[in-house]
Amino acid sequence: MTSGGGIVGGEGAGEGGVAPSIGSALLRVGLALALIFGGIGAGLGYWQVVQAQELSSDPGNPLVQAAVRNAPRGRILDASGEVVAFNERGGNGERLRRYPYPAMTPVLGYQSLRFGTSGLERAFDAELTGLKPLGPGRDMMRKFLTDPYDPSDLHLSIDVRLQAAAASALGGDRGSVVAIEPATGRVLALVSNPTFDANRLVDPAGGQAYLESLRGERSTPLLNRATQGLFVPGSVFKIVTATAALGSGTIDPATTYPTDEEYETGFLVEGFTIRDSPRSFQRDRPLDFFEATEVSSNIWFAHAALDTGADELLAWSERFGFGAALDFDLPTAASQVTGGDGPLSGFTDRVELANAAYGQGETLVTPLQMALVAACVANDGVMMRPHLVDRLESEDGRVQTVGSSELRTVMGAPDAEDITQAMVLAVEGEFGQVFAGSAKVQDATTAGKSGSAQVGETGRPHSWFIGFAPAEEPRIAIAVIVERTGFGSEVAVPMAGDLMSLYLDSAE
Amino acid sequence: MLLALMGVALFAGWVSLASQQAGRMTIGDPAIPVIYVGILFAIHLAFVLTGRRMDQVLLPVTGMLGSLSLLLMARLPQGLAGLSLGGLDLGLAPLQLLWLSLALAVLAILAVAVRNDNWLREYKYTWAAVGIGLLLLVFVLPPAGAERIDAPRLSLRIGPITGQPSELLKVILVVFLAGYLAENRTLLARTSTRVGPVSLPPVPYLLPMLAMWGVALAVVIVQRDLGAALLFFTVFLTLLYAATRRFAYVVLGMAMFLAGAAVLYQLFPLVRIRVDVWLDPWSDPLDTGFQIIHALYAFGRGGILGTGMGAGLPAVGDTPGDLPAIHTDFVYAALGEELGMLGALAIVALYAIIAERGLRIAARAADDFRALLATGLTLVIVIQAALIIGGNLKLVPLTGITLPFISYGGSSLLANAIVIGLLLALSDRGVEPPPPPSGPRRFHLPLRSTA
Repeated sequence: MTSGGGIVGGEGAGEGGVAPSIGSALLRVGLALALIFGGIGAGLGYWQVVQAQELSSDPGNPLVQAAVRNAPRGRILDASGEVVAFNERGGNGERLRRYPYPAMTPVLGYQSLRFGTSGLERAFDAELTGLKPLGPGRDMMRKFLTDPYDPSDLHLSIDVRLQAAAASALGGDRGSVVAIEPATGRVLALVSNPTFDANRLVDPAGGQAYLESLRGERSTPLLNRATQGLFVPGSVFKIVTATAALGSGTIDPATTYPTDEEYETGFLVEGFTIRDSPRSFQRDRPLDFFEATEVSSNIWFAHAALDTGADELLAWSERFGFGAALDFDLPTAASQVTGGDGPLSGFTDRVELANAAYGQGETLVTPLQMALVAACVANDGVMMRPHLVDRLESEDGRVQTVGSSELRTVMGAPDAEDITQAMVLAVEGEFGQVFAGSAKVQDATTAGKSGSAQVGETGRPHSWFIGFAPAEEPRIAIAVIVERTGFGSEVAVPMAGDLMSLYLDSAE
Repeated sequence: MLLALMGVALFAGWVSLASQQAGRMTIGDPAIPVIYVGILFAIHLAFVLTGRRMDQVLLPVTGMLGSLSLLLMARLPQGLAGLSLGGLDLGLAPLQLLWLSLALAVLAILAVAVRNDNWLREYKYTWAAVGIGLLLLVFVLPPAGAERIDAPRLSLRIGPITGQPSELLKVILVVFLAGYLAENRTLLARTSTRVGPVSLPPVPYLLPMLAMWGVALAVVIVQRDLGAALLFFTVFLTLLYAATRRFAYVVLGMAMFLAGAAVLYQLFPLVRIRVDVWLDPWSDPLDTGFQIIHALYAFGRGGILGTGMGAGLPAVGDTPGDLPAIHTDFVYAALGEELGMLGALAIVALYAIIAERGLRIAARAADDFRALLATGLTLVIVIQAALIIGGNLKLVPLTGITLPFISYGGSSLLANAIVIGLLLALSDRGVEPPPPPSGPRRFHLPLRSTA
């Protein structure tokens, strides 16, 4: 080391003009280099361990692209084992994906060499191509195998018969049906109408022209209405309002609203008049929660929402999942209670808040969101994570089950019970059956709420229904919307009843 | 002993690669590794026979890096580089072996022959002039392979040989800096000018710093070579710190660097693209972000254990190499994929060993010039490695400099061989003592008493 001589190694290096020793500086240079090497090691760890799986299943990765071309892609099967997506050799020997059920497109999406993937084909691309093997440790061992691909079959919770029945029930109308098993969150049907023929899209010959024609279509067949379509909910939103009002303790089921006067003149909120119609269904006394739900009183729910307040209404709807994309296998749009920039916690004024109570403010929802609301009430207030895939199964029989998981408890069981009772009245009660009686499932108590959502000043409303059956031990919760076809009772309600019957009958 | 270990590692890798490529157990064609290991042992023998007592670790470590290079070049598509020598068509791996052999010869000659340093010490300004001349050459002579106007002008073409002068320039720079700093470090360490709270040395002595800053900027502007500029400036600042131990220089230098970088970012699209791509490569995944994204894919595919030699991605498709410039700029990504994180860490460790040995040689050096020279030579290799590895890993902006001893390319190998050769010569304890110290004439003070 350089320590010789009295003039070397001075720390101060001040006015005296003596240079400090190089040796001590070298130590620090070495430390700095060690830090740099450490940083590199951390970088390696980040990309090669933490991010490795994500990078290795990125669609842009040539490995993934090679796998997409070369690997036998896993099949997709419905809950009963019916194959809904499989492989076929095309004319030029290229692997082509086939989809025997057109109604499944909103769930499956497509996998095409040209356009990539969408839907479940996208969400589970790594598993289907076999780049994400099942079971721990196999990832590391994979390089010792001769075949680097380990594709898995996808077993869905979807009941393809229910799915097809819902699509054909919608027929030429635009709309959506989402059905969920309340206790597990298994999605039984997820229909968006109109949709498109994925077989034609993945066809190398006519795919491009077909896609162009789909893009030009005014009925937006490329939009997945079930998860990304945003609709005015109308009266089906009253279930959310009721949850907030009951859950926050603002009301109890016995709370009564309107006064006699309001029957005659309407309920005046800051110059805006809310009326109930048809008048003939009102009883000659104030209504409690059950009666108000049965006859779908706008005035009652407007009172309830105003008393509950904007903050509570927003907070409770967020517990249902409003305000953010849902945790789901497919991309979802966020449902909203209000447009969001007004002074009253986002609401423009009390008029908007009152209108939101019955889903006519700036409230916009996805059918999936409303199906979850129904399923949550049906499951004693506990919301299960909705999912489309029951399990993955590899060729050699390894199975990875996607268990049901609880998202959160949205409301207390007593509240859920009260709301259920009100919804049963809305379908089966003396007045309720006039609105939604046709949703009744034979031999099963049926709970539900219909809605007729006004869109703009003119034109026919969206026809809505959400509900579940049997009310005591719910096995299916459903949301049906048919765009601009009339009152809830006209279209969505009987359709929901038929579909729930179909499912419950077939399952027995 | 270490050389033997290295030889075993090379042969194991060679067999693994050949088997992977052939699909069965085979030792492939052993000519390349046999020649290479033979050369290394011959050099070792020469060191022993000439009776020099030099560092025992540097040669095996360098040899190991070279073996990795040979393995990688043998594994990559051979068409990435080619040269016809008298009817003999040489592909990537044989060419790299040729360059490696030349480089090792240079290394050995320097290590054996250099017994005093006056030719470096006394002629530092001459060396500086040579360096600037080299820089100017690039500007004057037609650049090789630069079709686009803003492509980096890294290469020089003289006859059939193309070379990157900045590789040689870095060695010259270190020699000059070591000479200059050794002579003036007492002055530079003084404080007499105060700018606010910052104490600075006399203004005239700051000029070299400004000059260096200018050189770095010039390299960027003239050569469009961000990597070399970064390397030069980092090595310069570190050496300045080592010579003066004044952290203020480093802070000041970095401030100047950032200011310069900000201006360049505004003025030169090349700089702007490099920085933007570094910050978010996914904004342009098919064009400017392509290389770095695919490098990251390669790291991701490698995982902890790697795919194994020869089993990385270029084997999957039929494209010649998944990454553009995989044999020069992205060797680390390629090795990271095939050897995994453990292999990649081992490579970093090899450079860390070079750093440790180099700084040890510097600390044991007999005088300031030799200490600073050894430090600078070490830094040139280690910082260059860190810059390009960091670039591959998206830790710093990506630049086009090579990974010492692993990247394909003659000038890079030769320059780095000179560095290691000089380090080895400096490490010899039996070497001639340095000339009597001569401080700045004004003071007539011996800077140190020699041992």
